[in-house]
Amino acid sequence: MNPATLPPLVPALPELMLALGAMALLMFGVFRGPRFVHVISGLAIALLLLAAVMVVYLPGGTLTTFGGSFVVDDFARFMKVLALVGSAAAIALSTDYFDSLREQRFEYPILIVLSTIGMMMLISAADLIALYLGLETMSLVLYVLAAIHRTSVRSSEAGLKYFVLGALSSGMLLYGASLVYGFTGTVSFSGIARATAEQTSMGLLFGLVFLFAGFCFKVSAVPFHMWTPDVYEGAPTPVTAFFASAPKVAGIAMFIRGAIDAFPDIAPQWQQIVGFVAIASMLLGSFAAIGQRNFKRLMAYSSIGHMGFALIGLAAGTEEGVRGVLIYTAIYVAMTLGTFAVILSMRRKVGYVEDIGDLSGLARTHPALAFFLAVLLFSLAGIPPLAGFFAKFYVFLAAIKAGLYALAVIGVLASVVAAYYYLAIVKIMYFDEAGEGFEPMSAELKVVLGLAGLINLLFFVYPSPLLETATSAARSLF
Amino acid sequence: MAEFWSSYLWPLIVVAAQSLLLLVVLLVAIAYVLYADRKIWAAVQIRRGPNVVGPWGLLQSFADLIKFVLKEPVIPAGANKGVFLLAPLVTCVLSLAAWAVIPVSAGWVIADINVGVLYIFAISSLSVYGIIMAGWASNSKYPFLAALRSAAQMVSYEVSIGFVIITVLLCAGSLNLSAIVEAQNGRFGLFSWYWLPLFPMFVVFFVSALAETNRPPFDLVEAESELVAGFMVEYGSTPYMMFMLGEYVAIATMCSMGTILFLGGWLPPAPIPPFTWVPGIVWFALKALFLFFLFAMVKAFVPRYRYDQLMRLGWKVFLPLSIAMVVVVAAVLQFAGLAPR
Amino acid sequence: MSELLADYFPLVVFIGVALAISLALMIAPFIVAYKNPDPEKLSAYECGFNAFDDARMKFDVRFYLVAILFIIFDLEVAFLFPWAITFGELGFFGFWSMMVFLAVLTIGFIYEWKKGALEWD
Repeated sequence: MNPATLPPLVPALPELMLALGAMALLMFGVFRGPRFVHVISGLAIALLLLAAVMVVYLPGGTLTTFGGSFVVDDFARFMKVLALVGSAAAIALSTDYFDSLREQRFEYPILIVLSTIGMMMLISAADLIALYLGLETMSLVLYVLAAIHRTSVRSSEAGLKYFVLGALSSGMLLYGASLVYGFTGTVSFSGIARATAEQTSMGLLFGLVFLFAGFCFKVSAVPFHMWTPDVYEGAPTPVTAFFASAPKVAGIAMFIRGAIDAFPDIAPQWQQIVGFVAIASMLLGSFAAIGQRNFKRLMAYSSIGHMGFALIGLAAGTEEGVRGVLIYTAIYVAMTLGTFAVILSMRRKVGYVEDIGDLSGLARTHPALAFFLAVLLFSLAGIPPLAGFFAKFYVFLAAIKAGLYALAVIGVLASVVAAYYYLAIVKIMYFDEAGEGFEPMSAELKVVLGLAGLINLLFFVYPSPLLETATSAARSLF
Repeated sequence: MAEFWSSYLWPLIVVAAQSLLLLVVLLVAIAYVLYADRKIWAAVQIRRGPNVVGPWGLLQSFADLIKFVLKEPVIPAGANKGVFLLAPLVTCVLSLAAWAVIPVSAGWVIADINVGVLYIFAISSLSVYGIIMAGWASNSKYPFLAALRSAAQMVSYEVSIGFVIITVLLCAGSLNLSAIVEAQNGRFGLFSWYWLPLFPMFVVFFVSALAETNRPPFDLVEAESELVAGFMVEYGSTPYMMFMLGEYVAIATMCSMGTILFLGGWLPPAPIPPFTWVPGIVWFALKALFLFFLFAMVKAFVPRYRYDQLMRLGWKVFLPLSIAMVVVVAAVLQFAGLAPR
Repeated sequence: MSELLADYFPLVVFIGVALAISLALMIAPFIVAYKNPDPEKLSAYECGFNAFDDARMKFDVRFYLVAILFIIFDLEVAFLFPWAITFGELGFFGFWSMMVFLAVLTIGFIYEWKKGALEWD
């Protein structure tokens, strides 16, 4: 037997750095105690941003390691940077919230870093085992995060619900993976692609469906969305903000790589599935959100809808479609984080409020906040010239070019319906009686909200960096 | 027919006979181990111990057996009957089952499987079930509390035992118990056995074995002053006896494991003629009995631990110590180039 | 018989014989012993008075914690077994891989120690 040798570690350097950093922070936190929560949060953000820089400056081209199960290409770089930035913003959003509830836990930023490592593994995964490992590293942390507010019944309930349903979906995904492995004889995506090019069997398709069911759960697409509203509402708000941003990026990345890399030859089959999922998610996201009074719950339905829009691009199955998804995901992260920054600033003397009615007359009490929220909501609704419009534009364009007219038409109709409830909030802010004002916002919230607002507002002025990187990222998959 | 006879039935009969022989010898040995335990305890306290039944009380254990069989078996009304009766059976069968892989001399083993250590480890993990089942099925408070305590105690020390076994495996390079014994066969006789290089681990193993088998000073399970008789409160007659039997067989297993892992199994203490003439089983029995003597002396000498002290010892002393030793042993083997190939 | 079966067959027979002996011991008193149950004799033992509520009560969550910790560490031990027996063939890469693994494990252990998961009072 030959002694095993060290695989090249350079492609996984950011992950290794994050893992070491997370462990160091954990030791620092547990020895120095909760007095240093802010220091740890700051260090965790620095760590995540440093990792993002490292991802960008890794040697170019496509790097593989660990026996081909870990791939760093432009697609992975794009998604990783997005996930890292999303996670860093989620930590920044959390400090003020936990301070005011006196629930500071130094584990929170560390858990987010650990979860982000899982996401990065997931984004780079090029075989089913690596994919599952990344998925579980990410998800197990998410279950803990949902329940991190230990004394709150809602938070514990959210954690438990998420855990049970997440375990179910992991089971389905594993079942699908084992079927795929059984019918192709390999777990690597390229191997599966080769095997399916030769022949496809019914069993493989079953495996594919189960696999996709697991993927859909993680991006909360209909019909596997049922956990989303409850978990979003129950989990502490910064955690919800995190759930709605970075893990979605990783989920979408996993979905795209799984579909495009592993099953290119049976694309017509999975395009039908993805198309159906996209339509169902868009419609449900649009109609179910109308009756919601709770802002977090509304954002849950909104995120279901947005995942539906993003999946249109995947349903197209083309390079252009993938590019659309990438642009959509990036803009979606900016919109969502900004909106959650607003939700996190909805704090009165009595504590946090999350009802949409509490926003009434915001334009008079906090004009700047109302303006930014209005920008974000218009962007979420997809109204030109804001970023959200371009996001939808590129996926619809890809769908039309791929001949999926029905999908594009339904998408446009769904976004019209969705615009209704986004605009209803704007109406409440600008035309209703002013209520009691909110407490002043913390600096972190202002930074996140400002950045997100400006990205959405000014995207049309200088769109080329995002468009170009998304183009090269999409190209690296084909 | 002839083929069926020669390849299936005859091996079955042979193995069954061997098993029966081993079990009978084992159970008789256990009877005297019990007797020895009581005698040693008595001697330490300057009492006489059992001395009525038979010469010097030698038949005491057999009298006890008859007494147990003739006692009324009571199953409490609130108990979960099936589980209640299954618990002693599980305890007893599992502790006996471990003996299938223990080599008492070169080649003298019922099943010479190549994962013997793993098998024993698995079987001893399973023995917690007997206790949990007994505590739960009794539907009575003392047994329930005792079962929880006992389960927590046993699993705590099992972790350390696991790491101790790892250090031995690192040196021996095999999971087969006979191979582990052979690996200790060196020029220096008893000084090439693993007790010397792995002395701290030998101590950890010995103490963990005491805790794992609920022996004093770790017999909190049946701490009379607080839990009456532990998880066995509701038991009487042979079900009770089977718990006791299971416990003593487990002690014997632990002594044999200590012998095999650290004291060179059946190997003579010096590889020169007067010692090599003695059959291996005698050396094995002597070493195992020596370990049992230590068990008995500890019972007589040492006062009972408090529960928090017990958990502290298991988790905060033994566990870090044994993990550190795994690292040290691996590093020494690696850098000195001593690792078995 | 195949190699594997030949190895494990005696094991099954041995367990069977052990089961038979245990069952015989178990059943004997039900056949030979004198039986005279009454309600007092069959009630659960509780130091002289009648049991006043269900014995299967809530218990301390620390037992649960110990069980979780046990699962973690026992799995690690199970993971170390194959490494330990092939140690000589793995070389330096094998050695350092496991050292890294143990270091991660130790960090988790230190965390739970400092968090008080190992305290009993």
